[in-house]
Formats: sequence, structure tokens, C-alpha cells
Amino acid sequence: MDSLDTNGRLSPPFKRQRTVSPSPPPNGISRFGNSASSEPASGPTSPPIQSLSNSLSPRPNSGPNYRLKHTLTGHKGGVSSVKFSPDGKWIASASADKTLRVWDAKTGELEQIFEAHTAGISDVAWSPDSKTLATGSDDKTIRLWELKSGRMIRILKGHHNYVYCVNFNPQGNMIVSGSYDEAVRVWDIRSGNCQKTLPAHQDPVAAVDFIRDGTMIVSCSHDKLIRIWDTNTGQCLKTLVEEELPQVSCVRFSPNGKYILASTLDSSIRLWDYLRDGGKVLKTYLGHVNVKYSIFSAFSRDGRYIFSGSEDKAIYVWDVQTKEVLQILRDHEDVVLGVSAHPTENLLVTCGLDGTVKIWADEQ
Amino acid sequence: MNLSLADPFSLSQDYPEVFSHSLHYGHSSCVVFNRQGDLLASGRHDGTVVLFDVETGGLARIMRGHTRSVQSVSWSRDGRYLLSSSLDCKCILWDLEDGSRKRIIRFEAAVYYAELHPYNHNIFAAAIHEDHPWLLDISTDKTVRTKLSSLPWKATTSSDDEAQKTSKAAAQEAKALTLITLFDSTGQYLISATTRGWVNIIHVATHTTIFSSRLTKSAIVTARLSLSGRSLIFNSRDRILRTVHMPALTDEDVEDPSGILFEVEHTYQDLVNRLYWNHCDISPTGEYICASTYMNHDVYIWETNKGSLVKILEGPKEELGFVDWHPTRPMIVASGLETGRIYIWATNNPQRWSALAPDFQELEENVEYIEKEDEFDYKDRAEMTKARLDREDQEVDLIGMDDAPGGFREEEKRWTMPVLLDIEESSEDDDVKIVGPTAAASQKKKKAGGNAGAAESKGKKRKAGD
Repeated sequence: MDSLDTNGRLSPPFKRQRTVSPSPPPNGISRFGNSASSEPASGPTSPPIQSLSNSLSPRPNSGPNYRLKHTLTGHKGGVSSVKFSPDGKWIASASADKTLRVWDAKTGELEQIFEAHTAGISDVAWSPDSKTLATGSDDKTIRLWELKSGRMIRILKGHHNYVYCVNFNPQGNMIVSGSYDEAVRVWDIRSGNCQKTLPAHQDPVAAVDFIRDGTMIVSCSHDKLIRIWDTNTGQCLKTLVEEELPQVSCVRFSPNGKYILASTLDSSIRLWDYLRDGGKVLKTYLGHVNVKYSIFSAFSRDGRYIFSGSEDKAIYVWDVQTKEVLQILRDHEDVVLGVSAHPTENLLVTCGLDGTVKIWADEQ
Repeated sequence: MNLSLADPFSLSQDYPEVFSHSLHYGHSSCVVFNRQGDLLASGRHDGTVVLFDVETGGLARIMRGHTRSVQSVSWSRDGRYLLSSSLDCKCILWDLEDGSRKRIIRFEAAVYYAELHPYNHNIFAAAIHEDHPWLLDISTDKTVRTKLSSLPWKATTSSDDEAQKTSKAAAQEAKALTLITLFDSTGQYLISATTRGWVNIIHVATHTTIFSSRLTKSAIVTARLSLSGRSLIFNSRDRILRTVHMPALTDEDVEDPSGILFEVEHTYQDLVNRLYWNHCDISPTGEYICASTYMNHDVYIWETNKGSLVKILEGPKEELGFVDWHPTRPMIVASGLETGRIYIWATNNPQRWSALAPDFQELEENVEYIEKEDEFDYKDRAEMTKARLDREDQEVDLIGMDDAPGGFREEEKRWTMPVLLDIEESSEDDDVKIVGPTAAASQKKKKAGGNAGAAESKGKKRKAGD
């Protein structure tokens, strides 16, 4: 039996499969005439040699040039989510094989395996102090793990269906989770009690995120809505909809909290100005393939690039301003589900259905 | 950052209106929010100091060190240190990084009130039983104690005649005791209030009283300074609350205090019931004051502009002691004298339905819809998409915090308390609960969740049996 089938993120059981043909990748992947104008060219450098990882490098002067550094193997199933720890020392990966693994971000060595979930894990989140991990699983529970001791320290029960996504607030005292039961829950991590249940959506909640000061939560769902909630009162502050907006599979606040980045199952990623009356799409990033899975997106730490996995087994890197695809990283053998950018260095970590975790370094 | 999206009507509400929930963990004797408003410190009758997380209503820390009732707690500006004073004649400075006792300072009598210097957590002032106030410096291993005077300041120009006449009064005044010592917002001056109704302003650097004003003839039992540092409130045994505009003191005032204007702005009392006030506080801006009442279950709120009563908060079925106003939100906490429960009042924000469905408008009455000229025209979708994508040429800044009008300024770097997951378990744990409409629902759900868990484990057992 394919273990992936048990995992909500990997194969949503009742989601309407949309067959929107993805717009073909722009031919001019390597046209950086425009991008070079916005960034100072660092002199004529020799084009980098094609890396081992047959990554399609656009050879920009100042653009990103990510190369595969490590491939971390060990998971016995698809890896649904991968995250750098906020202190940059660790990588956590959650998999359909019911385990959570923590790796050293520098060497790529396996540090710890956390086992207790009775079904596949869909998402993992780090506490802001990098000491605690939270995982959401198809066994309907959220579990908290202590990195140092390797112990499971809390089990949060309450969701009536698969837990799809989970995130810490910046203060580290609360967790927000979204589930196939269509609710968003806010948990007090000290007591492990569910503090609020937000009747958020009419379809599985695919992603939840806190804004940088923790006062708002954004959630998105297959019901095609993006909703913004007040953490304190638990009330909906705003709903973002666009005509014929497809199912929303990933959503997150920008680092400064002014924008929302939302991935949708029509192979596009949109950057919303949610403060604008009714919300406005400022940028649309196209080129990748995303019609079936909830694929994570990420901002680079300097706010210049956007990363996302793709169903054509690659990782796409866009320029935030010009919306151009700057680089396409290929090495995964199946759909790339998770991406995470290192908080202080130009490192990227990705994971996918092929069960591997890959670390990429920008060799500029 | 939620301000930019919040309902302007709910934002305009600046004092609490409805009972929200209560917290219970032991018998609380005093409650104070930290400056950021995310933690609530509660001193208990058994000497334990407990920190509650305001956002979750859960316990954040338990600190044991005192053996008798805690009388006051005072936060450092960054929220990292907490000073507690107790009837066991001790003050303890806690480091909240790890919850350790950074310093224990012993006195010869019970400590009524101790307050940390607003900018230096190694300096504090303490008012103690049957004694004059003390200023303490604990920056070195040796505690430097300075005794301050409770006597009012006198102009030195009085003639011998007058001096004789006042000698009797002076002798009486010599018996004055200080019950409260507060730092002003700069930390350069101390405001102390005495049993004789005098308020003294003491220059911290020279330890001398530079100014005095007699507000009343009875003892002043509570004094609070607003967060803005501009308003003072005094509660005295004559059943009257007095607000005073805190003068901005300069070095010249120290030389010549005659220019200091320190006068009662408003007085507040219940003329009908002649209520005593147990405790009082000012809202952060000084626009409102609140007070708990003796032999009564209510908290009164007045606005200070005209001095009119705006709200009587009800809810608990017991007399209330300590009250404290949240530093940023319209929220008041009060501790019950009988059960030691902590009661919290806040505002009631109704859900705006238009937030849930942005394409719907809330209308007062029916409006005839007029179809737009091009509303049902055929449009080429591909062309429209292309046109839309071409319009997306705006520069976006994903990192910068400065410009936007929504108040996105970089918050000042502050210390945050580590989140402890292993708060010591104790039998009292079951007492921690939030009582309120939302909590009731969540508890019900919790029960349901628990049942589900039980069923699950049953299923597992069966599996194991197989």
C-alpha cells in the first residue's frame, strides 16, 4: 500500500481535482536583462559550470545560484514539510512514514528521530526559541516535542479530522492549527488546552500563519477563501476572494506583515495587499506546476526572492519585483512539497514525495 | 498590527464594558500587568507569585519565595525583572529569564509597597510598616539602604514665632508614616504619600524632600501613576479619590519648589452610599480611572475630563481588592478578597459580517440595483488576465517596516519571557480555568475530544488484543 495515501497533504481524498493546464514555463527563463537593471551587476563573471544537479541555472550576475549541497535520506515515505529552525542550526522534516526527523543544518547529519504519531505527519513548526517542535498529523493530534531530550511533551487533541497545518505564534505561547474538519484552532501550549475554535472554512484548512507580532492569523482553505483573524477576539477581520479564485493551498504573511503570499491550485502564487479595500493582488508568480498538492512557498531572508516547490519535480525561484523565474532547481525525483529558507544564510531546504530532503546553497 | 483591520467602532471603545472571564490559581492578593500587557503578575496570600499569560489565560510561571502574603508586585520596564514585597518582611527581585531569585532584601518590618525604578531594576523604593520609606540600591553585592523622610517639606523662611506655633503640629506630623512610594516616569523623583494626607516629592539623587502638598487630612492608602506619567490618583480614608496632574519637574524646581503646581484636579466620591474605595487605578492615558469598592462587588469607572461616572462593572459576587488597568487594551483586572479569584473585564466586539463575505454589503434599507453598462459584456478572459498581469508593476517591500500608514513601525526591542512547558504540576492545577462564554464552549468540546480519545485508545487496545 502506498503510505502516501494516508497522508492528508499528500493526497487529499475528496478534493476536486482541477485540470487547469499550467501555463508553460516562460521561454525566457534565462532572460535577466531586466533583472540585471534593477540590481547592480557584479562585473562580468564566467557563467557557472552546470552543477551536478542538472539544475537549470540562468547564469545571472547577481541573481541566485543555488546548488545542491546535501541530500538527506532516511524517510520511508514522502516528506510533506521541512523547516529550518529559527536559530538556523537544525532542519526538521515531517513525513508520511509517521516520523519527524531533525537534521543538522550544516552537515546534514541526522540528529534525532521522533516517533509517536500513529499516522502520517502533514506539517511541522518550530517554536521561536528553536527548542520545541509541533507536528500535525493524520491521527488528528498535534504533538509537541522537545528537541534537547527528544521527548514528546504534549499531545493536543481536539480536531475531528486530519490535522493539515500548524504554526507557532512569535511569542511562542500559542499554536494555531488547521484541519480537515474545516476549523482553525488556537492552543495554549503551556497547558495544552484548545483556547479557541474558529469555524473558519467550509473545506479543509490548508495553511495557517501568524503575523509577525502575533495579533493576526491568516488561514486558507480549499473553499477558495483566505481569511484573516484577530488572535485575541477570534473574529474574522477580513476575507480575501477573487473572482474564480481556485482552491488555496498555502498562505503566509510576508516578513514585515504587510502582504500575504498565497499559492493556489491553478499553478500560480499571488502576493496580496490585504490592507487595501477588499484586498488587491499585487503580483502573480507563474511558471511552476501546482494543481493537486499543497505545496509550500517561502520568502528569501532578504525579501528579494520567492521559492516554491512544483509538481514537475523542481523548485522555482522568482524575483519578487519582476515576477521572473530566476532559477529552477532540479534534483528531486518526484513532486517537491516543502521549501524553507534559512533565517540568516543563503540556504534553502526542500523536501518531496521522493522521501528525500535536500539542502541547497546559493553560490554567488 | 491588527489595528489596520480592526473595527473602528470597537477601537473607539476605550474602557471595558463587560465581564469577560476569571482566573483562579490560589488566593490572589494583588495583580499587576507588565508594561507590554502580555503577562499578569499575581501575588498570593500564601506568598507565592504567579504569572498568567494574558493572551491564553494560562499559567506562565509559579515562583515561591515568600512565606506570607504578598503585598505588592512591580515590573521592570523591559518586563524581565519583578519585585515582590511581602508581610514576611522581605522583598524579592525575580529574574524571569529563569524564574530565579536574583536578590532577597530583608527588612525589620512588613513591607507594604515596593516599586522598581523605571529605568534601573537595581534601585527600588519600599514603604514598610511603622517606619519611614527606604530607597535601596542593589547594584553591588552590598545593599545600599537610604532612609527617606516622611516629613513634609517646609519653607525655611518661617520666623521663630511661626515655628513655635507649629511645633505642636510638627510633633504630630513627625508621627506621619509613609504608606506608598512611587517613582515618577523619569525615575528622578519619588512621590510618597503619608498617613497624614501629605504627598511628598523626594529628589532621588539627593534623598531630600523638595516639595509637599497636603491633599487631605486622612491617610492616603493608595497612589497610582498613569502609564503616561502625567496623572496621579490618590485614594484616602475619607472616601474620596483625588486625581492630580503630575507636574513636569526640572532642576530649577529642585532649587526653588515654589513654582511647582500640584493641585487636585477632580475628586470622586459616592455621595449617596458614602462608599469607601478599596483600591484604584488610572487608564494608561489618564482619561479614565477605576476603583473597587468596600463592602461592595462593583468596579466604578469615571472619565477624568469632567469627572463623571461612566460605568459600573458588575459580575463577581464578592468584594474586590486590587484593581489594575491593562497598559494597551480596554481591560481591567480585579482580585476578589474572599476567594482570591481574579476577575477580568473587557470589551465586547461583535463580529462584522461583511468581514466574512467581502462582496456583500450591509445596507440600512433596500437599494435598487442599477446594472452597469458593461456588466454582462463578453470579455476575453486570456486578454484580461494578461492585462492584469501587466499591471502588476508596483514595487513591493516585503521586509521594511517603516512607511505604511497602518502603524507598521519597528517595535522597540524588548525582552520576552521564555515559554516554560514544565510548570510544576500541583494539586491546585485543576483550579486554573477560564470561566466565560467562550471557555464554556471550549470545555464542552474538550470533553467531546476526550471521549474521542478514549474511543481511540479502546480501538487500539482491541487491535493489540487481535
